[in-house]
Amino acid sequence: MTGSARPNGQAIFALVLLVLNTVYASQIFKLGVPFSNGVEPGASFLPIVLCAVLYLAAGRILIAELRNSRSADAPVPSEKSDHVPAIGITGPLIITLLTMGFAAGLERAGYIVTAGAYTFAVALYFNFEDGGRSVRSVIVAAITAVIITGFGWLFFVKLFDLYLPTWIF
Amino acid sequence: MLDLLGGFSTLFTLWPFLYLLGGFMLGLFFGAIPGLTATLAIALLLPFTFGMEVTNALIMVMGIYMAGIYAGSITGITLNIPGAPSGAITSIDGHALMKKGQGAQALSLDAFASSVGGMIGALILMLLAQPIGALALYFRTPEKFSLVLLAVVTVTIVSRGSLWKAIIAMTLGLMISTVGIDPMVPKGRFDFGSYHLVEGIGLLPAVIGLFAVCELLVQATIPARNAMGVAVADMPRLRHRDFIPDLHIVREIGAWLYIKSSIIGVLIGMLPGGGASMASFIAYAEAKRTAKHPSEFGQGSHEGLAASESANNAMCGGAIIPLLTLGIPGDAVTAIIFGVFLIHGLVPGPGLLTQHTDAIAPMFAALFVASAFVMISVIAFGPFYLRLARINRGALYGFIGLISMAGVYASSFSGFQMWMALAIGIFAFALRRFEYPAVPMLMGVILGPYLEKFLRGSMIVSQGDPLIFITSPFSLMFLVMTAVFIWLLRLRPGVRS
Repeated sequence: MTGSARPNGQAIFALVLLVLNTVYASQIFKLGVPFSNGVEPGASFLPIVLCAVLYLAAGRILIAELRNSRSADAPVPSEKSDHVPAIGITGPLIITLLTMGFAAGLERAGYIVTAGAYTFAVALYFNFEDGGRSVRSVIVAAITAVIITGFGWLFFVKLFDLYLPTWIF
Repeated sequence: MLDLLGGFSTLFTLWPFLYLLGGFMLGLFFGAIPGLTATLAIALLLPFTFGMEVTNALIMVMGIYMAGIYAGSITGITLNIPGAPSGAITSIDGHALMKKGQGAQALSLDAFASSVGGMIGALILMLLAQPIGALALYFRTPEKFSLVLLAVVTVTIVSRGSLWKAIIAMTLGLMISTVGIDPMVPKGRFDFGSYHLVEGIGLLPAVIGLFAVCELLVQATIPARNAMGVAVADMPRLRHRDFIPDLHIVREIGAWLYIKSSIIGVLIGMLPGGGASMASFIAYAEAKRTAKHPSEFGQGSHEGLAASESANNAMCGGAIIPLLTLGIPGDAVTAIIFGVFLIHGLVPGPGLLTQHTDAIAPMFAALFVASAFVMISVIAFGPFYLRLARINRGALYGFIGLISMAGVYASSFSGFQMWMALAIGIFAFALRRFEYPAVPMLMGVILGPYLEKFLRGSMIVSQGDPLIFITSPFSLMFLVMTAVFIWLLRLRPGVRS
């Protein structure tokens, strides 16, 4: 007996891709037939081809991963790949939440406040992670936030004449 | 050619020259820091280009490109941590020389080879761009489709790792490109009832998401001790003059090796999916094959260092040729440069050179002059290069995060595009976590509209007859090249193994 197949991360991700592909495919029906006039490719032609390719490729990866997960040794990523090591997701989660906060706050609180808070928080996270000294990290992050926020305003608004929202009272 | 040489006079005026200098310094900084690349630097610059004149934007991009590719080898030599993948081969012999106490000489030879390679690449670009551009004027929609297909297939099959994952990444990119108005009829697709999606997913959020936001998230997974806080070995105090290359060694390496490696770099650069890493690897292998003492390769060979680094920077000129003349970006950097053109209303491809010589010529000149800057930079900044790897990560990633997100907003005036960049970044992070390559996805986003437009346009012309793609000699040639590349790069290695 080889034991039960335990889906690994690769298989779950392939499954997610298949679900996303199905969501994409659900819209194809609104685009009409793949060949208008019977011969000329229409708006749905390429999306149908792409859906089929993705089902095939993701399906193949899913099956291969399910087979691999039955074997004792999990495959090791090649050294030269861009693979991100499977360590905690706390860091990316914090950065994602901070960036979401920036995106949500920019139009409401304006550039100076949002950018200042965002760069302070991102710098604080990396500084604290680097040194572990909280007081020093806060001071360096605060200086970083002031400089980078000022730099961004100077370049975007003053030098390149692009628009950034200001505080709306 | 004479028109293109006229670009030097524009370049040597105050603002264009300052843009080149600024771009070069930015590229040097980003290229030298492990984890950051020229691609990221140009991606971050993209929002700013909205506020620049097209000539200045292109000049600045060329400065970043040349410096970024060169600087990837700096920390490769000093710390054995290449700042960018392009510096990986150079660091084999470069770091071996460093360990022998010849670090300054290794850095100077590295810069000299980069300079020579970059200049040869820029000259070949100036020589070939107009003839190829003139030839490309004869391409009609079937030829253009076959050419785009060649790029799509080649970029996919040269990706490292699983072919299936590369196919998925390319397909995802092509899918993203189908969102929005249909290229042939005014009809929205895949908008899911949102008016934001009717206008499609812009290139800017795709580039920022795939390269900047994704990199930010990746760096947040890497513990500080594994990132840049590597202890720098004790080194004797170096002076600026220590970074002047030893002419005896340069003569020993020989002019032919520089020229041959540069030509290899240009040819690899012209291939879709080629890139600096492949150029340096092939030139290195060729130099080793013809070397008098191949056993020295890997142990601190001057020839190995010169070959890989000449090819690296010559590749820049080669990669620009298909972009400008055929409208086909071959790698991530040229794909983003493609975006710079589009932002300014210029469409790369046949006719661009003749219609916009005034905008393009300074760009060529910038590539050439930036190559000369490489040599100057090592003499000026060589003693400080070791400190580059010790920059504060908080400041660096705070900067990248802010410039990315605020940049998307400032250039699109759309909060939605900012959210889109974040969503693409998170998705790209997941792709990278599971070893899916990002470059085919970006190429899919960029080439997708063209692939579909040329396919459907050709089929309308031929009234649905697919033979139109093989009755045209150029189209047939591109299709045969596609098949040959698939055989050489994927099928034959599989059969042999």
